[in-house]
Amino acid sequence: MIVSFENRLSRFLGTTAIFIAIILVLFPFLWIFLESIKPPSLGGRPDIWRFEPSWENWREIVFNSNVPLNILNSFFIALITVVISLICGAPAAYAFSRFRGFQGARYSILAAEMMPPAILILPLFLLLYKLELIDSRVGVITAHLTFVVPVVTWFLIGFFDEVPKDLEDQAMIDGYTRFQAFYKVILPAVRPGLAAAGIFGFVLSWNDLFYSLLLTGAESRTLPVAIAGFWTFRGIELGKMAVAILIAVIPVLILSYSIQKHLIRGIGGSGVKY
Amino acid sequence: MHIKYKLILPLVFLLSGIMLYPFIFSLWLSLQDYRLTRINDVQFVGFENFGFIATDQSFLNAMGNTISFVASAVIIELILGLSLALLIQKLLIFRGFVRSILLAPMFITPIAVGLMFRFLLNSEIGIIPFYLLRIGVSLDWFGPELALFSIVLIDVWQWTPFMLLMFLAGLEALPKTPFEAARVDGAGRWLTFSSITLPMLRPVIVVALIIRALDAFKVFEYVFAITRGGPGNSTETIMYYIYQTGFRFFRMGEAAAASILLIIFILVFVILIVNLSRPKVIK
Repeated sequence: MIVSFENRLSRFLGTTAIFIAIILVLFPFLWIFLESIKPPSLGGRPDIWRFEPSWENWREIVFNSNVPLNILNSFFIALITVVISLICGAPAAYAFSRFRGFQGARYSILAAEMMPPAILILPLFLLLYKLELIDSRVGVITAHLTFVVPVVTWFLIGFFDEVPKDLEDQAMIDGYTRFQAFYKVILPAVRPGLAAAGIFGFVLSWNDLFYSLLLTGAESRTLPVAIAGFWTFRGIELGKMAVAILIAVIPVLILSYSIQKHLIRGIGGSGVKY
Repeated sequence: MHIKYKLILPLVFLLSGIMLYPFIFSLWLSLQDYRLTRINDVQFVGFENFGFIATDQSFLNAMGNTISFVASAVIIELILGLSLALLIQKLLIFRGFVRSILLAPMFITPIAVGLMFRFLLNSEIGIIPFYLLRIGVSLDWFGPELALFSIVLIDVWQWTPFMLLMFLAGLEALPKTPFEAARVDGAGRWLTFSSITLPMLRPVIVVALIIRALDAFKVFEYVFAITRGGPGNSTETIMYYIYQTGFRFFRMGEAAAASILLIIFILVFVILIVNLSRPKVIK
């Protein structure tokens, strides 16, 4: 096949554009990484590219700061949030997918997903304050459930929709009750969906700043809130901030890479059929 | 009780407790003079809070900022995301690899993105202004003129990947026949795009637009990380305004009223978009 000049030119321009986009995406990460291994005395110098790498910032963060505690808090909060979301969300998503009469319920899940945090933070703050749960992990988990539960449920509806109905019909003919069929046959069939929804919910909770900022204190502070605290000291804390950012970002990138394929179905739910 | 109600029971209980109840509490809150500084002296004031908010100059300013932020960010993201999706679809090699890299920004915590760019664009220690100055361009990225625009750019960096994700899936799912027919008929690239690809992508575009716009209305982290609403109040967004009113000035009643006005605004916006985007031709 003869490729015309015009075709080659457009292919070249397209590849160049993609190349530029890749650089624009990667450069901030690269620069933050360089900053994290700069000796603290060279921190915040935009003109320095070559230097003796120093692990000073990393050592400080790992052994001499609250960041390990923040990581534990973030991890624990995200994990519990996801577990509760799956326990409550999976049966409901299954019901929404299989039974008639839940059209309205589907839309209310969507509406819950769209609810701006601004409207929930005020009452949640006051309630948790009265229950003396400010600066507690329980309080943050409660708040995170408000956005993780709807997303996880919505995510799962799409996965249940794709499981053929014959599967549970067959199970029920074999003598299972409806619930047993759900629990022993359908749930194992959507295991990849549960994993994807769980990981997505975990990432959402792990990344949250708004609720955590207002509901945590020294004890229960999560990683994003801790990161936000590094800038106040400006240049001095820059390297440490870079380390904390990388610690917050790297696990999430690895996790989300594993669910990329499932994301579309999840976000679109069953409402969007392409 | 039918099994279908049993299955949804845990969810209903949970959401009633953590969403419905707080939501109703919020409605009640918006009618009270509720200050964190005198929590035992709460007074019913009717719609006074709404009256105050609706005429408050800084609320209107925050609303204006948010609307221009959402409109510019979402439109740029839509165009960039669609173009990149079309380009990636044409790639013969490395397609999965390129996609994975380009999607990365949407997964990381927005506060980290905000701080990264505060660092990159800072006029004293930032690398971008440093090299721009070398070629004679002097820009104060977070100064009064550019600050809101810089926040838009940061949003574009983080969320164009979302549009890309939606459009890649949308393009992949399009049937092949219309494109083959168009090629046989000798339709050019632009004609194929504007009369086949675009109309067929319409549902995906609408969904992506709505999800992204609703998310952009919640913008808070970049503002919190970088400008705290300034300089002046040129980057104060609606979320930041509510945060300030409620947790800096301790006026919970007015903050609740503002958040309810926000919800109403968002509802109207969604209904408008859904109606405007219906195909004009009735089948």
